[in-house]
Amino acid sequence: MDYARPALVEALAAQYVAGTLRGPARGRFEALLPSHPALQAAVREWQLRLMPLTGVLQPQTPSARVWQAIERRLWPAAAAAAQPPWWSRLAVWRGVSALASVAVVTLAVLLASPPPALAPVVVVLASTGADAGTAGTFVASFSGDGRALVTRPLQPVALQAGRVFELWSVPPEGAPRSLGLISASGATVLQRQKLPATVLRGGTAALAVSIEPPGGSTTGAPSGPVVFVGKLQL
Amino acid sequence: MSIHTSTPGADWPQKSRDLAQLLARTGLGDRAAFAALYERTSGHLFAVVLRIQRDRALAEDLLQEVYVSVWKSAAGFDAARSQPLTWLTHIARHRAIDGLRRTAAQPSTESLHGDSDDDSDNPLDRVASDTPGPLDLLGRASDARELSQCMDRLSPPQRQSVALAFFDGLSHAEVAAQLQEPLGTVKSWVRRALATLKTCLERSAARDGEVA
Repeated sequence: MDYARPALVEALAAQYVAGTLRGPARGRFEALLPSHPALQAAVREWQLRLMPLTGVLQPQTPSARVWQAIERRLWPAAAAAAQPPWWSRLAVWRGVSALASVAVVTLAVLLASPPPALAPVVVVLASTGADAGTAGTFVASFSGDGRALVTRPLQPVALQAGRVFELWSVPPEGAPRSLGLISASGATVLQRQKLPATVLRGGTAALAVSIEPPGGSTTGAPSGPVVFVGKLQL
Repeated sequence: MSIHTSTPGADWPQKSRDLAQLLARTGLGDRAAFAALYERTSGHLFAVVLRIQRDRALAEDLLQEVYVSVWKSAAGFDAARSQPLTWLTHIARHRAIDGLRRTAAQPSTESLHGDSDDDSDNPLDRVASDTPGPLDLLGRASDARELSQCMDRLSPPQRQSVALAFFDGLSHAEVAAQLQEPLGTVKSWVRRALATLKTCLERSAARDGEVA
């Protein structure tokens, strides 16, 4: 079909917005839409023409489960947490990670050329200064296949008694997910069954460490100060 | 239900600006803005979806998809080119029509169990009696004054075809079955109705331009 013909563009846009363009034709039209400004303009015009019709519909209140389901889908880890989301203050870790990313190193294992092994990913987590008593640097290293993660402080980090460090994966969008508790003094190995499947495949934009009560956060989101942050660069 | 901005009124421009603000903030990942947007628009969008998908549970699932999609695509909303509620309503209609396509692919259990006191196959008969029919809705479109005047210029069958398609998400074939008219006839009614609406709306826009 020749989508360059204005009359056809016009007719298809009208039928699309009115809802009568169906089946494969609707699918084709939608597939073309992003790359055809003329189609987009025609659709916008028809939307402006026809959408006011819906103004006469009486509002219908959806049940509360709809919003709950939306929250669960968009922010699985934080649906229960009510405290202000620190991760939405991107500036915090953007600023820090701008510095840290200079130090982020991707180590290609050159020795293992055939077969080309996936390089491990090393993330340096710098102190955010959110807690005056906590300073230093953490290093987190993913195995190339994303199945294991090792964390280690460069020097043992002081942590007040009765408190633990919890490691979080911060996705590009939405709430962080807990990866588990990590040691303040030595190496911690987090096995793959603890890691979300997508942790390296776009599921993690940054790693963060928060101070939590023994056993870790009970809310599903960081409840104490976020003391270390490092951006992941693949 | 003053929180719902479903009916564009005298204060519509302000409400529209507020919604555009909320959408812009949602596009930046502001969850509070997104929650406020849901609060203000879900009643309207649910009404739109429910007209097309009458099964309330399925309609709620669709509404959920609508807002997940709004969250993901809010950054693409262009306030200079689109009205926020128009943009949102389009997403809702699109999902609902898409949902019909999916449920149509599954066998319907409704016809097997059937309502024993309802031997008609008319889908409109299954709607609760206090639900206005699509033609009633067109008649009420008084807020959209120009659109309503232009609708008046359509022939009754043209108007009915457009109303069934637009409000209830019926396909050409379903409208034809509903009106017991040949498919080709219905297709040309809808096509001519839309063309008439366009010409009429453009004329009235031009008139407004001259007055202003």
